[in-house]
Amino acid sequence: MGAPFDISYIFSFLPKLLTTLGTTLLIVGFSLLAGILVGFLVALPRLYKVPVLKNLAGIYISFFRGTPILIQLFLFYYGLPEILKLVHVDVTRTPVLFFVILTYGLHTGAFMSEMIRASVTAVDRGQVEAAYAAGMTSVQAFSRIVLPQALGIAVPVFSNLVIALLKDTSLAFTLGVMEMTGKAQTLGSVSQHFIETYIALALIYLVISFTLEKLLLAAERRLLRHEVPNSPARKTFSLHRNGSYRRMIAQLGPGKGGGG
Amino acid sequence: MKLDPSFIWTAFVQILSAIPTTLYITLVSVSAGFIIGIAVALIRIYKVPFLHPLATGYVTFIRGTPMLTHLLLIYFGLPMIIDGLAAHFGWGFRSVSIPMIGFAYIAFSITAGAYMSEVVRSGLLAVDRGQMEAAHSVGMTTAQSLRRIVFPQALAAGLPNLSNSVIGMLHGSTLAFTVSVVDINAQAQIVASTNWKFFEAYLAAALIFWGLTFLIERATGLIEKRINLYNRGGVL
Repeated sequence: MGAPFDISYIFSFLPKLLTTLGTTLLIVGFSLLAGILVGFLVALPRLYKVPVLKNLAGIYISFFRGTPILIQLFLFYYGLPEILKLVHVDVTRTPVLFFVILTYGLHTGAFMSEMIRASVTAVDRGQVEAAYAAGMTSVQAFSRIVLPQALGIAVPVFSNLVIALLKDTSLAFTLGVMEMTGKAQTLGSVSQHFIETYIALALIYLVISFTLEKLLLAAERRLLRHEVPNSPARKTFSLHRNGSYRRMIAQLGPGKGGGG
Repeated sequence: MKLDPSFIWTAFVQILSAIPTTLYITLVSVSAGFIIGIAVALIRIYKVPFLHPLATGYVTFIRGTPMLTHLLLIYFGLPMIIDGLAAHFGWGFRSVSIPMIGFAYIAFSITAGAYMSEVVRSGLLAVDRGQMEAAHSVGMTTAQSLRRIVFPQALAAGLPNLSNSVIGMLHGSTLAFTVSVVDINAQAQIVASTNWKFFEAYLAAALIFWGLTFLIERATGLIEKRINLYNRGGVL
């Protein structure tokens, strides 16, 4: 089971692992962009109740939220080239990273679209009517009234999704991507100091998660600075009695309950 | 290399044999995690001296690191600790006798424990303070009022989160293949590589997981209806 434990290895592994931090963050960044884009595209038919498209969006969301990310990774990496071969598109030379970002983008997109849909529908209908009564156009009503309130719900969920995505990227090594986890495995097998590499790896993830959380919390405060605590608008959900807000957040599953 | 729709069914049937392994891992990690979760949540709510910072550190560490690292740390770290102690105290037990699935059980229980503690904590905090006072006023001890009054209500409040955690652990159990446990995912890999039909095999595995997730969601829905009966408004 490898060499005896030596704490100094942890410190020597830290900088070595950090060389691949860029790859990990690259996957997170691009997947997020793809996810937000997909999220909007999928949320719109459900918000506007477009027939057929609405049902397709529902199936898409259900599939990506109802199956493990690891299975999705394999399905796209091994399956997509086979499917594309049928229509004579050759993707054998496409970099692995493309498939990884595509999968994470689609996966995160399903969660994002639910986040977008729930936060928009959670805004009280009366708010829009009041905006119309005050003489706003529908664009104004959306941008000035609905959006700021929807953000209040979306931002904390978004922050959770980003951190969940970061943790999920550790699975990209299964396709041979050299991100931090892949690098850690290589370092472990070369040096036979497995436990030290994984301690170093966990520490780096912990620091990034913590930093992301703090950054997103600051963003949340900045976005919600117009919100007065306990204003009537904040009391859309009575948190205390019926727990509808808690249930809604739970159904969005932003933390994904631990697993992938 | 042709797509073979009929093979999806063949793969499906071959993967079925691995479902129990996946369900065992999920069940063990959720049950053990729930017990750890209750303990950790109570320690954090009642701010038990000395244990409180430990509990907070545990939850922060687990929630801030990927589930895969927990598994790898246990897989490589636990034998080191066990064999070190065994050599020191002269036990006959060696880590070699731990089955592979044992590492998955232990690691995922530790993972689930941290997430469950948050589920339990938010559930408990959702229960009205007055419930506890009312229980005290009719002469129950704190332990009694927790068990009879607060926990049932906390369970009802935390059910959606609980269901999420169960689904998360079900999906997370796919990581067990890294320590050579043959769960649904590993079985799909075997079926895929022996027949050289990857897409069909993984699609079958995805469909099985989709079905299991659907069942968990349905079951939660039914339990929720039943458990929230006390809470209904109106006459009927």
